[in-house]
Amino acid sequence: MRIFWLLFSYEWRHFRAAKGLVLLCALLLLTGLYGIYYGTTEIERQRQHLTTLPELTRRNVEELKVKFPGPADAGDIGYYHTTYAVHHPDAWAALSLGQRDVNPYYVKLRLLGLQNQLYATDNTNPMKVLSGNFDLAFVLVYLFPLLIIALSFNLLSSEREEGILTLLLAQPVSSGVVVGAKLAFRLAVVLGLAWLLSVVGMLWAQVPLDGRMVTWLGLSTLYCLFWFGVALIITALQRTSAFNAVTLLGVWLLLVVLVPSLLNLGVAAARPVPQGIELTIKQREEIHAGWDRPKTQTMNRFFALYPQWRDTATIRERFVWRWYYAFQHLGDLAVAKQAAAYANGLQQRYDLVEKLNLLSPAINAQSSLNALAGTDLPTHLKFQRSATAYHDALRAFYYPFLFRKVEFTHADYAQEPTHTFTSQPELDTALRGLGKLLLSVGGVFAAGLLLLRARPINPR
Amino acid sequence: MHSIAQKEFVSTLRDKRFLVLSVLVLALLLAATLVGRASYQTLQQERQLAQETVNDQFRHQPARHPHRVAHYGSFAFRPRSGLSLLDSGVDSFTGTSVFLEAHQQNSVNFSQAQQSGSLIRFGEMTVAFVLQMLVPLLIIFLCFGAFTQERETGTLKLLLSQGVSLRQVAWGKIVGYSRAVALVVAPALALAAALLFGTEEFASGADLVGRLGLFVLSYAVYFFLFIVGAVVVSAVQASSRAALVTLLGLWILGCIILPKATANLGATLYPAVTKAQMDADVHEEAQHGINGHDPQDQRSAALKAGLLKKYGVDSEEKLPVSVGGIVMSESEAYSAKVYQQHFADLNATYERQNRLSDWVGLLNPYQAIRPLSMGLAGSDFAHYVHFQQAAEAYRYSLVQRLNALQASMGYGDKERKLDAHTWQQLPLFAYQAPPLGWALPRLLLPVVALLLWAVGLSWLGLRLISNSRLA
Repeated sequence: MRIFWLLFSYEWRHFRAAKGLVLLCALLLLTGLYGIYYGTTEIERQRQHLTTLPELTRRNVEELKVKFPGPADAGDIGYYHTTYAVHHPDAWAALSLGQRDVNPYYVKLRLLGLQNQLYATDNTNPMKVLSGNFDLAFVLVYLFPLLIIALSFNLLSSEREEGILTLLLAQPVSSGVVVGAKLAFRLAVVLGLAWLLSVVGMLWAQVPLDGRMVTWLGLSTLYCLFWFGVALIITALQRTSAFNAVTLLGVWLLLVVLVPSLLNLGVAAARPVPQGIELTIKQREEIHAGWDRPKTQTMNRFFALYPQWRDTATIRERFVWRWYYAFQHLGDLAVAKQAAAYANGLQQRYDLVEKLNLLSPAINAQSSLNALAGTDLPTHLKFQRSATAYHDALRAFYYPFLFRKVEFTHADYAQEPTHTFTSQPELDTALRGLGKLLLSVGGVFAAGLLLLRARPINPR
Repeated sequence: MHSIAQKEFVSTLRDKRFLVLSVLVLALLLAATLVGRASYQTLQQERQLAQETVNDQFRHQPARHPHRVAHYGSFAFRPRSGLSLLDSGVDSFTGTSVFLEAHQQNSVNFSQAQQSGSLIRFGEMTVAFVLQMLVPLLIIFLCFGAFTQERETGTLKLLLSQGVSLRQVAWGKIVGYSRAVALVVAPALALAAALLFGTEEFASGADLVGRLGLFVLSYAVYFFLFIVGAVVVSAVQASSRAALVTLLGLWILGCIILPKATANLGATLYPAVTKAQMDADVHEEAQHGINGHDPQDQRSAALKAGLLKKYGVDSEEKLPVSVGGIVMSESEAYSAKVYQQHFADLNATYERQNRLSDWVGLLNPYQAIRPLSMGLAGSDFAHYVHFQQAAEAYRYSLVQRLNALQASMGYGDKERKLDAHTWQQLPLFAYQAPPLGWALPRLLLPVVALLLWAVGLSWLGLRLISNSRLA
């Protein structure tokens, strides 16, 4: 054990002397801090945008109060009044932004048919979304492996190339202890950095104190360990530094770049999603046919679903709002099956990726961190369901006015339901990811140790 | 020098590692071409079918009031550009269809990125991806030992003692490596060209030939500067290991870190307005007039008074035109003008954000080839905006035609409808992607950046080599 610590402290002195490596660590620390800064400001901006929405609704109400100074027909209000379903980020989102920049975090709603409002997107710069987010998760998943590779590609090979290894192994030291001490030192440096950045990120983002902190640290630790395991395997092959560097980078390229992009293609082919646009087209067809159909036909279909309004007066007018909103809603119902199929298709894609992400710990780590932060597809689908429920609540609020012909007064605006939704972490997914990462770590270390045992370190 | 080039070329081909790597890259290139082609076809067919469906639906509407038709509206689907099978650019992150209706401009919805989880953020397997990121890596592996190895084995001294200058050695190596790289990349590009021009859908296309030609040329320059850069680094660094680590570090910085960092920085420096805020502002200005001048009700009243005066009558009933239709037309023109301004502002903001990345192209060739490649492929932001504007122009003309029809119906138009055949005479949305001549001026900065790199590296780098005491 004494020898182990001796080697460990020797590594420390060596590391301090190697200016390049210290610089690299400092650079990574800075990029990590930038990642945290970027993530928190991005989420802060989204939060700030979300706080302006009630103000927009208030302005809209002010305008309506001027437009309809006295008691109004609720149908007019429902038509001109806009409100928002909002998706607040979890504090963790700042560390792993996931798809929060691709999927809209609010939906503007009117009392009209839901399906042509639900999929509207926010303004986005496609170039920026293509380039992706520079958040802490990116630094951990993409850049940390590169640091690990830079620190350990010449673990033994440089000593061999400089002729020191012969001297070292001539001492009464087992080669296992040498490799162990060298790896342990690098592990300490890398994990120290990862934990430091994670803790700074957690404090900066002001995450709640709960078990997720442990999960995050566990995920990042295991992910780093996985890459050390890969480095161990390459070290055990005992080739030149150049070979090691090329091979390790090749593994990085394979797991972080190639497997994800190929998997993306495979999953898209294996789980085709029904075109979302089909449902909007069909819904439009249904709604506009509503204008041309006999009113009694429309109303009878509506009353079959909402018998509580059946006893209302028969419609004789050319236009009346309750008929208008009835066929708007029937348009939504006509495509309910397509809407469900679309959402299911997306969920199935996600599930398939989750099943296959054992292929690449990078995908596993990324999707686990996103799941922890509640920034991936399942959370967005939950938000859409929540927005749908809100639209139902709006209809339930307006229907009595429309069907009982109750006048809508200025006091009624305040009674209108409002919406809020905050991302919930997908803890199950994150914990499953943790388990799978553990499996990957076990796999690489077992392979590395077996290789080392099969081929003892050759000093030359 | 020829013999040096020949020697590098032959020994590269004999190198087993290079063979494995290049077969891998070639396989990926071919696979990416085929996959790109397949996904191109599916998406194109889907969009074409959808466009035909909505066009059909539009033409076969029953008798309706024209304003109803304006609300029924239509959809515009963005067709994919021919070369997007090589470089899909921002296509996966932009919506595919936009609903065109009276009074408002809707967002372009249903992007590919929204239809997959965060997996898509790891990057997509396209030909451009292989060419931009993986081929440079191959070049690095190929060239990092160009000088260091000769020095480590002592052959460089021998070579120089035969009266060859360092510059000649360097050029010889660069030419030799270039041939080897061309051998890897050419088959895939030939396949892509065959796929592109072998099918009838692309049969017509001097434009496409021009785009593909420039596409190939830009990548040739891109690879060339990587080869020169790697050879220079190899000459300047003391050992093969140092050369390799330096080159890989530069690759990571240029291809992974910088593009993301600058895109993020751009978005932070030039914040864009949200759709909700923009819609509210547009509504505000359309209702109450730009800067509070002439609000809508005043404009309508003035319009009505003008009509009465023009036709010399004292009431709306006696007018030969429908006041509703005229007011509708005026307010559409007004709100479209307001929308246009806000959209122009928004796009200007986005362009400022992207400009930052384009300027960094002067420092980082990856950020020069990326916009150039997608610009040539017709899948960049500018082409997307072109589509958005074409869709808006069509929406506006369609709605105004319908408003004119309503105006011509005269007083009491709301009680009447127009015949079903009316809708068959309205023009349909047909999108024509802009030609190469439109795209090129927008790509000036990346072109200049790439050429500066190639010329600068060849000149400065080789001077550095011949001035150094290598042997």
